[in-house]
Amino acid sequence: MEIYLYIALFAPLVGSLFAALFGASPKTLITGLVASGLLFASFVSSALLLGHVMNGHIVHVEMMTWIATGDLYIPFGFVVDQVSVTMMMVVSVVSTVVHVYSIGYMSHDKGFNRFFSYLSAFVFSMMVLVMSDNFLGLFIGWEGVGLCSWLLIGFWYHKESATWAANEAFIMNRIADLAMLIGIFMIYWNLGSLQYDVVFAHIGTLPLAVTTGIGIFLFIGAMGKSAQFPLHTWLADAMEGPTPVSALIHAATMVTAGVYLVVRSNPIYTLIPEVGTAIATLGAFVAMFAATMALVNRDMKRIIAYSTLSQLGYMFVAAGLGAYWVALFHLMAHAFFKALLFLGAGNVMHAMHDELDPFKMGGLKKSMKVTWIFMTLASVALAGIYPLAGFFSKDLILEVAFVEQHYVLYGVLLATAGMTAFYSFRLVALIFHGDERHLEHGIHPHEAYTFMLYAMAPLAILAVVAGMMFKTPYYLMVSELLPAAQYHIHNHMTLWIMIIGTQALVIAAIAYAYKKYAKAVKVDLKVESGFFYQLLFNQYYIPKIYDEIFSKPYLQLSKIAWKQIDLKIVDAMVDGIANLIYQTGESTHTMQNGNLSSMLRWMVVGVVVLLVLAVAFTVAYNNAVNLHAM
Amino acid sequence: MQEHILSILIFFPALAAMLGFVIHKDSARAYGITVAAIEFVLSLVLWQWYNPLGGMQFMEMAPLISAFGISYLVGVDGISLFIIILSTFFTLIGIASLTEKRRIKDLIITLLFLEMTMVGVFASLDAILFYVFWELSLVPMLYIIGAWGGPLRIYASIKFFLYTFTGSLVMLVGMLYMAYLYHMATGSWSFSLLEWYRLQLPLEYQLWLFAAFFLGFAIKVPMFPFHTWLPYAHGQAPTIGSVILAAVLLKMGTYAFVRFSLPLFPDASVAFMFPIAILAIIMIVYTAMVAYAQEDIKQVVAYSSVSHMGVIVLGTFSLNVEGISGSVFLMIAHGVVSGALFLLVGVIYDRRHTKMMSEFGGLASVMPRYATIFGIMMMASVGLPLTINFVGEFLSLLGFYKQSHAYTLVAGTAIIVGAIYMLSAYKKAFFGNVTKEENRTLKDVNGTELLGLVPLVIVAIWLGVYPKPVLEPINNSVKAVVQLMHDKAQTVEAKERIPDLTHSTQEAH
Repeated sequence: MEIYLYIALFAPLVGSLFAALFGASPKTLITGLVASGLLFASFVSSALLLGHVMNGHIVHVEMMTWIATGDLYIPFGFVVDQVSVTMMMVVSVVSTVVHVYSIGYMSHDKGFNRFFSYLSAFVFSMMVLVMSDNFLGLFIGWEGVGLCSWLLIGFWYHKESATWAANEAFIMNRIADLAMLIGIFMIYWNLGSLQYDVVFAHIGTLPLAVTTGIGIFLFIGAMGKSAQFPLHTWLADAMEGPTPVSALIHAATMVTAGVYLVVRSNPIYTLIPEVGTAIATLGAFVAMFAATMALVNRDMKRIIAYSTLSQLGYMFVAAGLGAYWVALFHLMAHAFFKALLFLGAGNVMHAMHDELDPFKMGGLKKSMKVTWIFMTLASVALAGIYPLAGFFSKDLILEVAFVEQHYVLYGVLLATAGMTAFYSFRLVALIFHGDERHLEHGIHPHEAYTFMLYAMAPLAILAVVAGMMFKTPYYLMVSELLPAAQYHIHNHMTLWIMIIGTQALVIAAIAYAYKKYAKAVKVDLKVESGFFYQLLFNQYYIPKIYDEIFSKPYLQLSKIAWKQIDLKIVDAMVDGIANLIYQTGESTHTMQNGNLSSMLRWMVVGVVVLLVLAVAFTVAYNNAVNLHAM
Repeated sequence: MQEHILSILIFFPALAAMLGFVIHKDSARAYGITVAAIEFVLSLVLWQWYNPLGGMQFMEMAPLISAFGISYLVGVDGISLFIIILSTFFTLIGIASLTEKRRIKDLIITLLFLEMTMVGVFASLDAILFYVFWELSLVPMLYIIGAWGGPLRIYASIKFFLYTFTGSLVMLVGMLYMAYLYHMATGSWSFSLLEWYRLQLPLEYQLWLFAAFFLGFAIKVPMFPFHTWLPYAHGQAPTIGSVILAAVLLKMGTYAFVRFSLPLFPDASVAFMFPIAILAIIMIVYTAMVAYAQEDIKQVVAYSSVSHMGVIVLGTFSLNVEGISGSVFLMIAHGVVSGALFLLVGVIYDRRHTKMMSEFGGLASVMPRYATIFGIMMMASVGLPLTINFVGEFLSLLGFYKQSHAYTLVAGTAIIVGAIYMLSAYKKAFFGNVTKEENRTLKDVNGTELLGLVPLVIVAIWLGVYPKPVLEPINNSVKAVVQLMHDKAQTVEAKERIPDLTHSTQEAH
């Protein structure tokens, strides 16, 4: 089985390096094909490993030593267990689909080869992240996906907005990474190891304060990658990258790394339920906070990005409440339908010549039937309507909150579910129904290449069946590793009221969205100029606030540090001392001008000074001796 | 030959340099490359022969002034071995990728002399010998900046010389006093470091001596607030000067901390640990901010150098094996990465004769290979895992975390501020549209330049993925230093802060 582990892990790297060889040359289809083929190999290996794990085996290999000094020993070790194999399946399925899709999507881009090199490198990093058997190995992947995200957000590097967003994402993630490093330091100095098995076996022996510290710092790390408030602004800006990137990195895989970290570290978080509650509360807040911004936004990709953010909030609620398997399950289901939604958005963008404002679209269901069906399916799944994937995963989180008696969280999540349904179908209605507003702009849409649609089909199928078919076998598998709590509401009456109530709310929200946006779009100026609309439309003014209180002052302060402090104080002092010495020499060298009489005069002065000093020292010395003697 | 390898390594470049005067100037470059290549191979042979488990090796002793116990005493351990290889490696790379046209023969002779002094400093185990090489190294660098530098070269070179020279004089006084104390304690004179190691000094003496040595080392590193000679030196120095200065010469200061300050004055090291950590943190954060404000890309790299040296100093003063090993490893890593970055800046300077970032923009589309190599080195510089810098930076911070959580948290912002100045500089130079007409026709990196850059890229990734061959010998030698410090320490605090390795394996298990 080890060979499959290595194939699953290194096939994407080989693909990336192969594509990199052609990085600077013009488009060659072969790079896309080879990279996709290797990704498929990775997928097949992951699937074989899944079978192996489902039979109750775990594959654990130690490839070689990485860092060893003092008592620290960190190998390149990889483990395929119930949790990592789930992640491997998600990553390899979505990335294979996205690779094949990208062959079409990027076919006219002159950075075609470079794109595949980055995309495969990302998959490799993600695999390292989920397969490592220790925290520093995870950190390799963690930073690796950050690098690839930077490369891919800024893929069209001539665009100022794209490179700016890339840097923002990288730097904001770095802030969280520092906290994560501190968490790793704490683990090492308290437990002497960074291997998962050692750490989790001994974490219970630590004082609670230390465990709490570790839990908090690791979670701050997770907040960066998973774009939780207040480190969330980079995710919406990251939509500057090509759309397949948004589907793979900024929806399905990388942003869920934070959830993965919490799920993986469940032995730590089980010990500190207060931190878990805080995580869940933050998650519920983000779920609603992001959903509100999605309600009014006018950028198709940003709406989906906020939706991702909101769903990540759901996952953190589950993870925070100790329902780790539920969090991981929603992660998986979400990956499928959200990637599908993004890829559909990519089709629309191509058809619309990169137009992103859904208010300038409409009626696309005529010309883009398959995309319409796919995006509607994905939205239904996202809204959580029976029997699609979202119903099984997302509504389960609501039940978790209810069973754990966090009724406020439950209420927030329920309201958010309504908003989710509304903004999702607002988007679908604006794009696919109503008048063909784009005709005014002289755009004649066309459906994407057939093979791209075929590539998307697996995701569409999974979005429909993943919840229904996978829930039980998945639960049986992961409950061997994760705490196996079932979240049943025992009162049948309550259960049915909840299910029917949620479904009714969601369906009503969808109906309202259709009613409002599917026919003619009326712009209600009174609402739009209102305070709340503007607040939401400007993303609560948070990007502006960050710019004003962090970015600009930092630049100002840096300039002051350089021009005022470094040049005018620190360096000027050095030059000042040097000048002082130089000036002393300049002004006293007349003493030795060779004139006999003036030199004699100075000699007398010198003798007198020396005599005075000699007398003074003698007196002082005698005094000191006398004092001692007494 | 094995027993004289160090002497050969030290004096072969010097002899070759003298012979170089009679070489015709057209073959000077080939001659320089040959000599530097032989020297580099010799240093690799040294590595091959080095026993990673042994202590000080290849020692040679010849009395110079026996009345005062001054002798020619050289040897290497894991700490100096790789810095010696770094010196020979960079001399080779520097000469091989030399694009300078003016007085090439003189330049090569100067570089070979410089190589002698560099190897000499890191191999010396006698304080006076160390001091002689230490000061001699100023002379070739003075010439390189003063003769081949930019318009302000005279000011920059004199500032560089006088500043470091002043610090070294104080250090020399410290050395003389140390020998005097040794004489008082044992009745005989010695400048041998190994003899000095055995001397246990009262805390008060340690503090004064530590301060005297510190001034000499801190100016060389350069530590805040003694760093202002560096931007001028880098600003005026030709590419080759900056490369050697950043890659090797700065390491003399941090190396000397590990070689002199820690084992000679363990109690003083503990006493000064937090003040020095504060200076290190100022170096990290403040110079990173200054780097962010720069308009000249070479100054960004110069200030980033200071910022990274801050991490090295912090790791050194973590006083445990993890941190010191990390800081020694980071010396190598920083040498490779900053050397490469200065070479890269040189590439664009040769083409455009300007280093202002506002003059560039969009270079990624004009010079893709150049942008890629620069990107890799930039990522190494910001400490991405699987690059050489990460190992050193991680271990340095990890080590200091044992001493203070709060300080490490502040120092750890290195990974944030470092990313800020590097990414924004990269964005200004490489991203966006090509705005200047003269940038449209720039040629990508050529063969000569690749000759220098490709090996550096390989090393930066190889040692990031597999640091063991370097880290293991470093680790063993650092263990010896830490154990010596623990044994010698007298104050209770020092005994606590410096771990005892004889029975401290894995407390948790």
